[in-house]
Amino acid sequence: MSAAAARPLVTVQSLESDMATDANSVPLPDVMRAAIRPDIVTFVHGQISKNARQPYAVSKRAGHQTSAESWGTGRAVSRIPRVAGGGTHRAGQGAFGNMCRGGRMFAPTKIWRRWHRQVNVTQKRHAVVSAIAASAVPSLVLARGHKIEEVPELPLVVSDAAEAVEKTSAALKVLKQIGAHPDAIKAKDSQAIRAGKGKARNRRYVSRKGPLVVYGNEGAKLVKAFRNIPGVEIAHVSRLNLLKLAPGGHLGRFVIWTKSAFEKLDAIYGTFDKVSEKKNGYVLPRAKMINADIARIINSDEVQSVVKPIKKEVKRAPLKKNPLKNLQVMLKLNPYAKAAKRMALLAEAQRVKAKQDKLDKKRKPISKEEALAINSASKSWYKTMISDSDYTEFENFTKWLGASQ
Amino acid sequence: MPPIPKSHIWYFTRSYPSLFLKPPHCEILDSPFLSISEMATVPGQLIWEIVKKNNSFLVKEFGNGTASVKFSKEPNNLYNLHSYKHSGLANKKTVTIQPGKDQSVLLATTKTKKQNKPSTLLNKSLMKKEFNRMAKAVVNQVADNHYRPDLKKAALARLSVVNRSLKVSKSGAKKKNRQRL
Repeated sequence: MSAAAARPLVTVQSLESDMATDANSVPLPDVMRAAIRPDIVTFVHGQISKNARQPYAVSKRAGHQTSAESWGTGRAVSRIPRVAGGGTHRAGQGAFGNMCRGGRMFAPTKIWRRWHRQVNVTQKRHAVVSAIAASAVPSLVLARGHKIEEVPELPLVVSDAAEAVEKTSAALKVLKQIGAHPDAIKAKDSQAIRAGKGKARNRRYVSRKGPLVVYGNEGAKLVKAFRNIPGVEIAHVSRLNLLKLAPGGHLGRFVIWTKSAFEKLDAIYGTFDKVSEKKNGYVLPRAKMINADIARIINSDEVQSVVKPIKKEVKRAPLKKNPLKNLQVMLKLNPYAKAAKRMALLAEAQRVKAKQDKLDKKRKPISKEEALAINSASKSWYKTMISDSDYTEFENFTKWLGASQ
Repeated sequence: MPPIPKSHIWYFTRSYPSLFLKPPHCEILDSPFLSISEMATVPGQLIWEIVKKNNSFLVKEFGNGTASVKFSKEPNNLYNLHSYKHSGLANKKTVTIQPGKDQSVLLATTKTKKQNKPSTLLNKSLMKKEFNRMAKAVVNQVADNHYRPDLKKAALARLSVVNRSLKVSKSGAKKKNRQRL
């Protein structure tokens, strides 16, 4: 793999004092492409910022410098220990409790509180590496609030002539040439008196952060030139501080690198293949995803060629219709239903007709001949009934058997 | 092939057999995807994840928690809304419409190849025409050349608002006569 040839080049901004032959470019060190992990940075920053604290505590004797004793019950006063003696306002006043005036506070603060935090070295390095990588992303630097609209390129690398700058006025000129001046102006204009009690506790002024200038050679004059500009901070490459690279735990400080500093980054942090020279056995951290551009992956040929097409029309469930009420639906389920229904209807019609006929026949008044025929038929039937009956042999039944046998 | 809309994005990682033999350089193994000029930038989704919780342009108004509306003050945001689609920080291609000097409207789009060169990032053009011609120009730059067709409505809306504000600034804000009965 021709790694070096594939790495993008960063142009070095030349200053007035440079020869015209310069304005070359440097390959981007791998640190700038490390994984950006705001979670690690927030954690490590939080831990590390506790390390510069000075302990505070109340005096251990505060509130106990009395020989107070409780008066006990029976004296119409509360049972709080009271100061013994007489002749002064203090006598008889409550003492010792956190609720008492002049008493000791609840849980007096102790100096042996755990002020400092330990962080694993690899974690600390990961955080610094993430912060350096984030400083190369213009969106993140903008989001942090730096004014980089006039900066010609990010990461901003300046030729080594900047390291020789001695006077602050010259340093300001350098900043103007490379487009970093708006950020410094922003920092200067933001100087204000702190809101809150801190102003009375030796933290009177606050201001925004400006650019961080990173130099490569020890004893460079630029330290003294740049340090008095409000907002501007300086650091040497081999001593980069997370508290300066990600102030407040927020990624994306605006960093100005000198050429020698930029070139040393590869040696200090190593590359993805190569172990670091200065940090024993350290390799840059890997990202969970090599290519995090998901939109691009999804739209790539490899994925799109295997993916099923989008279903544009949405299939909705049709309304269920009751077959017992809706004939068409019933027929869909049971085609014989039509014939069965037809036959049922016909049979019903027949039955109705038959009944009607029967009723009509019954309700119609019968003619004389019919009536006569019916009458005579019934009489003769009665006679035969008597004569044919089993009871004719017995005398008891003669009465209701009636007429003569 | 049709690009999948954002709502259908799912996540998957590629695994290379050579992953453990040689530590990967992003652009070498993914050469079908990325060209060298784009290598230095971090993908927009990642930037959005970092920036969406807290950034210097974020403004939360009207309530706390889910009740608030999130605005965003960065210049490349057409609706000034804090969302991935409208964000000027997380997208490679953005459109901005601002009032320029002398009652003109400044239309600017970001160049995709110059992402890490902030001073030359924008294609700026000052427009001082009547509204219809400006609207046509905006539509051409944003939608018709497939730059960011999803921002067409937003761009036109912003254009009309900016235009109106210029008219107001020209003739002065309405002076209310409070003494009148």
